[in-house]
Amino acid sequence: MWFLWAVIDRLGPSGRRTGDGLLDEAALERIARGDHDALAELYDRHARPVYSLALRILQNPSDAEDIVQEVFSQAWREAARYDRLRGAVAAWLLTLARSRAIDRLRARRARPENAADHRAVVNVADLGLPPDLQVLSSEQIACVRAALGELPVLQRVAIELAYYEGLTHVEIAARLEQPLGTVKTRIRLALIKLRDALAGAV
Amino acid sequence: MAGHDQLDEQAGLYVLGALTPTDRAAFEAHLATCADCTAEVRSLSSVAGALAHAVPQSEPSPALRARVLASVGAATEPEVRLTASARATASLAEAETRRRKPDATTGRVPVRLKPDATTVPDTTTVRAHTFVPWLAAAASLALAVGLGVYAAQLRTRVGDLEVRLREATLRADAGDRQIADARRTAADAQSQVAVLSAPDLARIDLAGQPAAPQAAARAFWSRSRGLVFTASNLPALPAGRTYQLWVLTAQPAPISAGLLRPDTSGRANAVFDTPPDIPRPTAMAVTIEPDGGVPAPTGDKYLVGLAN
Ligand SMILES: [Zn+2]
Repeated sequence: MWFLWAVIDRLGPSGRRTGDGLLDEAALERIARGDHDALAELYDRHARPVYSLALRILQNPSDAEDIVQEVFSQAWREAARYDRLRGAVAAWLLTLARSRAIDRLRARRARPENAADHRAVVNVADLGLPPDLQVLSSEQIACVRAALGELPVLQRVAIELAYYEGLTHVEIAARLEQPLGTVKTRIRLALIKLRDALAGAV
Repeated sequence: MAGHDQLDEQAGLYVLGALTPTDRAAFEAHLATCADCTAEVRSLSSVAGALAHAVPQSEPSPALRARVLASVGAATEPEVRLTASARATASLAEAETRRRKPDATTGRVPVRLKPDATTVPDTTTVRAHTFVPWLAAAASLALAVGLGVYAAQLRTRVGDLEVRLREATLRADAGDRQIADARRTAADAQSQVAVLSAPDLARIDLAGQPAAPQAAARAFWSRSRGLVFTASNLPALPAGRTYQLWVLTAQPAPISAGLLRPDTSGRANAVFDTPPDIPRPTAMAVTIEPDGGVPAPTGDKYLVGLAN
């Protein structure tokens, strides 16, 4: 049959959605219809990781709470436009949180009175993960966290500067006084290790 | 445009959000047609997701929950912003209205500051309202891998259109043909925006076949709104031949979506209507066929892609 020639092997199974993911999608549909309880439900499932990410980036509880408020307000407004092709709801909320937090961080950096706010990002010792980390439910996340801790220091710093500090690779190279190519290579190697850790945890 | 070789380190930087704006735009343009980099981005984005979770977890204050839930209580309506493009569309209707209703005694077009509500066509009113959320949705879709390039193109295009529409509106003596041209171009851009922001949007990536191993394409498909297709590295067509796009469904016969003609650099972009009542596509393919196209595929396959 003609359409059977589609001998395509390249496409794996599309992403499986977990029970939580389906609950989230259902909650968003209800939010789109103006259901406040659904927003409370979504908040109870995700406020903690959203807050924790914002706190890691902004290092200030009050700023982090502002971000949480902005993220859930945006989820409320845009629930109807949420497209599940874009990925899981949890990932969407965290992406919103990260970009809002990074925006705020950049604005803070741009203000001269806070020029001293480069914090300890170059202090490598400071970047060690606290030993009393609460482990999230997902085994994969624990694995990535462990793998992050095992990365060579400069690889880990490069990743953290990019993801949690919102620096571009050009800025990272300047900050670490490393050639651009070296920084790119380090980031690539680090991501591949983290991805392998993630795959190993399945 | 930079080739794949110079870009293979970009995927990681991209998922971390660590590319400069210029590099990001270039990489997104590349992503739109490179299946390898798209796969790389997809697999690395799970790492970025894990990094978001890999921070020390702490609990926000209980007061925050009440604050968040109270803050949305007042605003139950989704945001609606009237953009410049919507205003331009509306003022185009106003210009047409003015032209069609010259003053009976002087034969001159009356100058009005506001359109006459009874003579503005209803369709324009509807469009001015529906167009805005589409645009906003297209902008947010730019987050999705590969869509950035479309959103960027559309923003540029809509920007151009706004200028043309304003010019047409300002000139009291603008000819009907100019207005019709501007309107048709606007409709074109709108149909692309409409497809890309459709709630039932699905994407199919097509890979080059032995006849054209370098070729790649991506189709965005919506049952309700149509099909946006973009291809790159298609070989130049011999005289008397055309590329034809086929949609494969559960029905035995492939359905022709339309013809494609690449530019000199091998790129092809097209928007097609979705035939009514078509079942969900299971795959798409591009074949080479005699000029004018054929009812059923006969030629070599150049691109093939399966739906997820
Ligand atoms: Zn590539």
